[in-house]
Amino acid sequence: MSKGTLILYCAIAGALAIAPLVLGEGGLRFATECLLILSMAQMWNLLAGYAGLVSFGHQVFIGLGAYSLFLISDTFGISPYWVLPAAPLAGALVSAVIALPLFRLREAYFSIAMWVFAEIVAALVMKTSWLGGTAGLPLKSSQLLDVDWLEPVMFWIAAVLAMGSIGGLYLLMRSSFGLGLMSVRDNDLAAMSVGVDVQKNRFIVFVLSAAGCGLAGAVSFLGNLYISPLAAFDVNWVVYMMFIVMIGGIGTLEGPVIGTIIFFGLRELMTSQLGLSGGWYLVALGTIGVAVMLLSPRGLWPPLRDRFGLQLLAVGRKAPSPLAPTALTEKAGSLG
Amino acid sequence: MAWLETLVNGALLGGLYGLLGIGLALVFGVMRVVNIAHGEFMVLAAYFAVMLVSLFPHVHPLFVLLPVVLAAFAVGYLYQAAIVNRVVRAPDPLAPLLLTFGVSIVLRNLMVEVFGADVRALPLGELSRASINLFGLRIGVMPLLTLVASVLLFLLLQWGLKRTRFGRVVRATADRRDIVRLFGIKPDRVYNIVMGLSLALGAIGGVLLAVRSSFTPFSGVERLLIAFEVVVLGGLGSFWGALLGGIVLGMAQLAGLKWDPNAGLLYGHLLFFVMLLIRPAGLAANRA
Repeated sequence: MSKGTLILYCAIAGALAIAPLVLGEGGLRFATECLLILSMAQMWNLLAGYAGLVSFGHQVFIGLGAYSLFLISDTFGISPYWVLPAAPLAGALVSAVIALPLFRLREAYFSIAMWVFAEIVAALVMKTSWLGGTAGLPLKSSQLLDVDWLEPVMFWIAAVLAMGSIGGLYLLMRSSFGLGLMSVRDNDLAAMSVGVDVQKNRFIVFVLSAAGCGLAGAVSFLGNLYISPLAAFDVNWVVYMMFIVMIGGIGTLEGPVIGTIIFFGLRELMTSQLGLSGGWYLVALGTIGVAVMLLSPRGLWPPLRDRFGLQLLAVGRKAPSPLAPTALTEKAGSLG
Repeated sequence: MAWLETLVNGALLGGLYGLLGIGLALVFGVMRVVNIAHGEFMVLAAYFAVMLVSLFPHVHPLFVLLPVVLAAFAVGYLYQAAIVNRVVRAPDPLAPLLLTFGVSIVLRNLMVEVFGADVRALPLGELSRASINLFGLRIGVMPLLTLVASVLLFLLLQWGLKRTRFGRVVRATADRRDIVRLFGIKPDRVYNIVMGLSLALGAIGGVLLAVRSSFTPFSGVERLLIAFEVVVLGGLGSFWGALLGGIVLGMAQLAGLKWDPNAGLLYGHLLFFVMLLIRPAGLAANRA
């Protein structure tokens, strides 16, 4: 990370820390939602952009994380904040188990099988009466929460999650593990030949992204104090994550940030300013996504970066420089 | 006896499911693209059929199938030419996947806004209630006709791909799109026609499914998942496997519904997952 980026990162973190003092209640809720969706998009991006696995079923981890928080907190009467760590664990556990059958499938088949899995879990939750069935569950342990502090605390958690996911992914991608991942993405045959364990890498990334989505989902529904299976396992979660990543730039850390800004900017413009329904908003978002895919398949960030020479969170590395060509010719001359 | 009747009806439904799968399999087989918007195009065809039926109330509903299928072919041709062909050659296999997913979102929400989210159905009058008695089993005439139509379409498609010049061109393009160019064939144009055929098959499936059960703009998701499960259950790229996969899926679904009336597609999905664990190569695969 360059010095400038580090300063920018710290400045944003500082601004987020004091934001609840400045923003009103509505603004705070909106900002929390933005940060949570950004975190989810980064998790989806980690899986799709760095491991080449497109999941159409990531809503299952959001739902599972949220349900595990509600259940554990209500059953044991523990404050929901203390139960938060259970949410990523639930996501990680379930993803580790289903990776077994799903990893036999490649590309589109993985994507849709993941979707089928999400549908199965959603249908089972809806049929289970102690999970509230189709009606859902209220968060009974919400009486343990200080209502005045709920909004700011939710915001801070979301901010830590979003900044943590960006910073954490940056460090991950700069590590040798990240280098292995990107080498698989760019040329899996070459990566395998130098000893990168492709399946293991994919597995780790899958579990990580499921855990991240579980946590983000739990925080998201904790803010609502209520959960229903239709909302928790809504396929639109994945639609949002995917469009944000697709528009911003898949396989870059900056892309989802741009995508999130466009996503919420467009939503505010269409639903609040123009008063259009959510359906038209999704039509517009989808049209932009398709147009970006056709005109700039790598998303908006890479062309912007190349055009203006921006380097914010670049995780690529320079190959070690080979011997200078003049030295080689001299050597050749002395030999021959 | 009631269970046997359920299984027979499941098999009849399965013929229709096979038809849903074959359109998806055709496109995947020829251009290695899974068209995520396949389900939405099916629902669109059903809406078009409902519209035609209400416009021409004196025409028998089954006759609207012809204009719907022709329109679906045209839509498929244009969809491929305008959108999908631009990413088929992309080195990144994720591009067509994301693109067709995007198209499916646009289509689904457009249908919500244009047609509303209400439940629709395609009434067939007498025919949809008619049934015959076969060795003591009550079998619906319409499901029986549907299965017969599916088998005929399967035969026709297989004959077309195996025996006609066009079929040879399609198979050659699927194998080596770079080489067929030397023979004066434009792969993109072949793809256009294949996508047209796929959506035409999907339209038949979509309309026949709309006769069986009601639909909403959101039904595209389950139609796509059924089609996909059929293809994977049957073994990738196997024609008759898709029909077999459809029949197994149809039986599982109806048996599940009989046991647990509000299960929806749950038992079909579960069967698919179990099969994925024990026979990932598909039902029809005999090689390991």
